[in-house]
Amino acid sequence: MKITDAAVFPYPCGDTSVPRLALEAKALGFDSLVAIDTPAGSFDGMEVLSGIAVQEASMRDVINRVKRANDSGAVVSVTARDNGFNRAVIGLKGVHIIRGIHAADKNAFDHVTAKMAADNNVAIDIDLSILISGRGIIRQRAIHRFRDILILERRFEFPVTLSTCARSYLDLRAVREITGLCSLIGMDISGVEKALDAVGRVTASSPSAVRVVL
Amino acid sequence: MSPRPPTLRENRRYILVRVEPAGTVIDQKELYYAISDAVTSLWGDAAAGVITQAVVAAEMGHVIIRCLRGTEKDLAIALSTVTSCRDVRLALRIVAASGTIESLRERIRIVQPVTGPSPEPAAGLTGTDGTEPGEYVFAEKPFILLYCNGQKVDVIEKGFKNAHRLFLTKSDLENS
Repeated sequence: MKITDAAVFPYPCGDTSVPRLALEAKALGFDSLVAIDTPAGSFDGMEVLSGIAVQEASMRDVINRVKRANDSGAVVSVTARDNGFNRAVIGLKGVHIIRGIHAADKNAFDHVTAKMAADNNVAIDIDLSILISGRGIIRQRAIHRFRDILILERRFEFPVTLSTCARSYLDLRAVREITGLCSLIGMDISGVEKALDAVGRVTASSPSAVRVVL
Repeated sequence: MSPRPPTLRENRRYILVRVEPAGTVIDQKELYYAISDAVTSLWGDAAAGVITQAVVAAEMGHVIIRCLRGTEKDLAIALSTVTSCRDVRLALRIVAASGTIESLRERIRIVQPVTGPSPEPAAGLTGTDGTEPGEYVFAEKPFILLYCNGQKVDVIEKGFKNAHRLFLTKSDLENS
């Protein structure tokens, strides 16, 4: 099992360099990180995966970005919007993660989208930064949305990833702390372990649906 | 009022927490308010009344926090939601939990003591050519060394405006 933080934003988006984030994440119990807009590498035995966060306005722009990212071997994530957009994105080849579902429409992620995510092996990201730094109604809404997503996850078994979305090493949390935070949304230890390992599963090349036999 | 006999006292637990970034000046009272706010925000007044959190000591970059026995887990989750103390960004890393303050003090002595801000150039780290001693260049901007421990280097941008603290490693400064 490879414990991975599904999104961190190193310098210049944040105030911490990639090697420092890797160093601190290793001390906190992680095996790898997905660093957005950063080339892949390995620092002190810690694997840093390259990540691309697509946050485009139109579907055409999203398709173009995903096509360009397909060759780079990066973990591609798209920010969720309305239900139709999410369904279209989940159907796109090369998209690994849908993030920001807590900030999307109330009906942005329903049972049909959940089934599609499971069929296409696309993960839904749980952004822990809302649980960490959010207060009041913002955190309450996020907890409600995450609980709702986990109900669908138990039914349809689509992958779920966990990300701290850290822009500083101060935003990173230890695996034990993440387990505690996830207990707020009804996720048990086995669920947390599965979610922390999900990046490896969604990025692994799936066997082709059709096999050519000569 | 005479003190209660030990059997009638509440059982308490003490949590040892490391404050990051290193060198952060800790005001016990302000930190108590930050923790209290986090606990109340997450668990509500009723649970906060049961947890009865208190900052009992702050020494050598560590803080000892008291709570009612059995509520350590709730307090630990709330501690992970503390992100600032009086507008100063910080993180609280839980190191250990114990039934006595003394054993946690022993633990602080065992772990590598946290050194204060180091104005001296770190061992093995030299300033870039053409810069003053203790000054480094990263991303084509001059920085002043604030703290150095092993590979970890904290720097602050030179100047009066936008003096943000950056968290780097020695290799970042050597390669820039």
